[in-house]
Amino acid sequence: MTAEHSAFALRGLAKRFDGKVAVAGVDLDVPAGSFFGLLGPNGAGKTTTLSMAVGLLRPDHGRAWVLGHDVWGDPVRAKRLLGVMPDGVRLFDRLSGAELLAYHGLLRGMDPAVVDQRAAELLDVLALADAGRTLVVDYSAGMKKKIGLACALLHGPRLLVLDEPFEAVDPVSAALIRDILHRYVVGGGTVVFSSHVMEVVERLCSHVAILADGAIRRVGTLDEVRGERRLEEVFVEAVGGRTATGEELSWLSR
Amino acid sequence: MAVPVTAPAEPVRPVSARHFVRLKLRMTANNFRGQSSRVALFLAGVFGGLWFAAGGFLLLAAPGFAGEPRYALLTAAFGGGLLVLGWLLLPLVFFGVDETLDPARFALLPLPRRTLVAGMFAAALASVPAMAMLVATAGLVVTAGVLGGWVASLVAAVGVVAGLLLCVAASRAVTSAFATMLRSRRVRDLAAVLLAVVAALLGPLQLMVLAAVREADWDQLVDVAAVVGWTPFGAPWTVGLDVAEGRAWAVPVKLLITGAAVGVLLLWWSRSLESAMVGTAGAAPTRSRRGPVGGAVRQLFPRVLGWAGRDRFGALVARECRYWWRDARRRANLITIAVVGVFVPVLVNLGGNGFAVSPDQGFEFSGNSSPVLLSLSMLFVGALASATLANQFGFDGSAYAVNVVAGVPGRLELHARMTAFSVYVVPMLGVVAVVIVSVLGEPGWIGVAAGALLAAYGVGLAINGLVSVLGAYSLPETSNPFAMNSGAGMAKSLLTLLSMLASTAAAVPMVVAAALLGDVWLWLALPLGAAYGLGAALLGAYAGGDVLDRRQPELLSTVTPRR
Repeated sequence: MTAEHSAFALRGLAKRFDGKVAVAGVDLDVPAGSFFGLLGPNGAGKTTTLSMAVGLLRPDHGRAWVLGHDVWGDPVRAKRLLGVMPDGVRLFDRLSGAELLAYHGLLRGMDPAVVDQRAAELLDVLALADAGRTLVVDYSAGMKKKIGLACALLHGPRLLVLDEPFEAVDPVSAALIRDILHRYVVGGGTVVFSSHVMEVVERLCSHVAILADGAIRRVGTLDEVRGERRLEEVFVEAVGGRTATGEELSWLSR
Repeated sequence: MAVPVTAPAEPVRPVSARHFVRLKLRMTANNFRGQSSRVALFLAGVFGGLWFAAGGFLLLAAPGFAGEPRYALLTAAFGGGLLVLGWLLLPLVFFGVDETLDPARFALLPLPRRTLVAGMFAAALASVPAMAMLVATAGLVVTAGVLGGWVASLVAAVGVVAGLLLCVAASRAVTSAFATMLRSRRVRDLAAVLLAVVAALLGPLQLMVLAAVREADWDQLVDVAAVVGWTPFGAPWTVGLDVAEGRAWAVPVKLLITGAAVGVLLLWWSRSLESAMVGTAGAAPTRSRRGPVGGAVRQLFPRVLGWAGRDRFGALVARECRYWWRDARRRANLITIAVVGVFVPVLVNLGGNGFAVSPDQGFEFSGNSSPVLLSLSMLFVGALASATLANQFGFDGSAYAVNVVAGVPGRLELHARMTAFSVYVVPMLGVVAVVIVSVLGEPGWIGVAAGALLAAYGVGLAINGLVSVLGAYSLPETSNPFAMNSGAGMAKSLLTLLSMLASTAAAVPMVVAAALLGDVWLWLALPLGAAYGLGAALLGAYAGGDVLDRRQPELLSTVTPRR
């Protein structure tokens, strides 16, 4: 079964909220060493899918494996190999950046000396060392994303799941995050991230999947999915978007 | 198509207080959607409110039925005054305020401040406690009607409504002002101390009042009630009686006093409301530029935790310790424990037999407390302290996801949370024990006091550990530490009450032992009480940890605020 060999495998994940279907059975295989982009419009179920896949939200149906370990059946081993940066979820933001990293590291059972060394390096590379004892709650949006990434990377996971890592990030920080993720993949790691920004996905990803209304519409390597066209066209077509005719909202230009 | 950019786009319809009330009711109703447990809790709250309302109504109407104008004045002035005081202090100490309408949400709307305050005020009136209050004080209308005919009852009705306005305005103004102070980094510690001092002053003040009551005869009491009737505390409640007793001239003056008090309170509220609206955006980080000392791990651990291992348990404890101090919401709870913990047992143990003011000696001690009474009051304090943890995961909100992703075992999680909270609370309980035995002048009872405290606290930790896993609810993400979601307010009071009752009941053996064992217990109470509490807490973490392991994701979704 392929689930044994992929870095990340989802089978039939489904979730309803108050009778409304949020995710209607998602199957996905993320090959080891790939840079995988999960694309979808707002409300497509990206966050719900990823939350179920990393053990934050119990699915109604379906299972998920991280490098062969069942996330819901054998959570301890699966979570050890996994680094997660959820979106719309607060960090323990009344700690300073260094304190937060120390907390994450020790929570993962790491040696304190290693935590110290890696935390200092990460803060340095991500240009967060200047923040000193400023609490994370007072960080800017971009800094919060960066410290979230640092927390996910600290314990050296083999699979990184990032929900909207480039949302609300300025170009300088985005470039930095891209570089770090790129190096991580070159070093043998696997990255799965969700986004609705086509440019980022086209530049970074080796594989993409397009999610809409809680189901996968297209999946494959970047070239397979987009063919000869631009990714954006494929995306709008797969999602079933509409184009404005110019007739409505006339009062905007009175 | 050249339209000046400054021209308003369309004629604007005025916004009235009615819109705020409808918005609040709509939000309350939507909050119930698909959540039958919330509806049940809300209904329980309504019934509780009705129960208290009926009791208050009977008490306030009784002098009317009895045809006793003297008692009527006493109940109106003192009962009404107590109600105002309750509205002033209880939200601060226990219940918080319903912040269904978060003022920060209105910051971007083009609303004049007057409209906003009027609207928020009207919305605050549309609540279960306010309605219960109205029913209860309707008893005054009955009394006035029986004693002075329908004119008096009409005037009393006006007074009751004015009194309700006063109470709601007072509770809003005070919580809002304290929230502002607690939020500001500069004065928050000052605010904490201020709150503690105010509450600490209440103790001696009440003792003196009680002593005075004991000394005084009825005529003096009636005089005092008459004076209270001229302050905002008693003015709205006594107007009906004034008509009944032929002092109609007093009515406009008293209503004016009430109106002026409401006006001042609303003005005060609107000031702090403004800062609540912009405060979240304007809170600039102005920390001292002192460079970090040592590595990341060393920075995480506060100095008092030098003993803790640099491992998962240590990290959890250290993070919790930091949070109890840095999170305004949690710190407000700690202050409450400190204040109530000293104040209530002093009252209970000295009670009406406390200090007597004698002209030549000043205070004269005449307490007749006993180890049994002392143990009982200590149980209350221990249970109250631990009840703070009843929604410990709700404090974390969605940040709890970090622990879920890291796969923290349930027992470890609960052990760490109990330990961190105890780092603050156990020394506080020690101080309570020392203070109370010194006030009582019975240093030999220190063991009884401390033993009962620890037993009740430990049992409470166990019970609240379970409650926090099974009965968690989300707290709104506002900067007001006193804010609650509608419905959650009911949930909180009910859960807290239940868990306190259960903790007290489970620690009752301490009281029984104090009653039966006599002097031996003075020595045995501390070791046995501490062991009882510790054993209970460990057992609670054992059971609660199992439950937590099974419902981590469910817990996370219940504490994540809906947006």
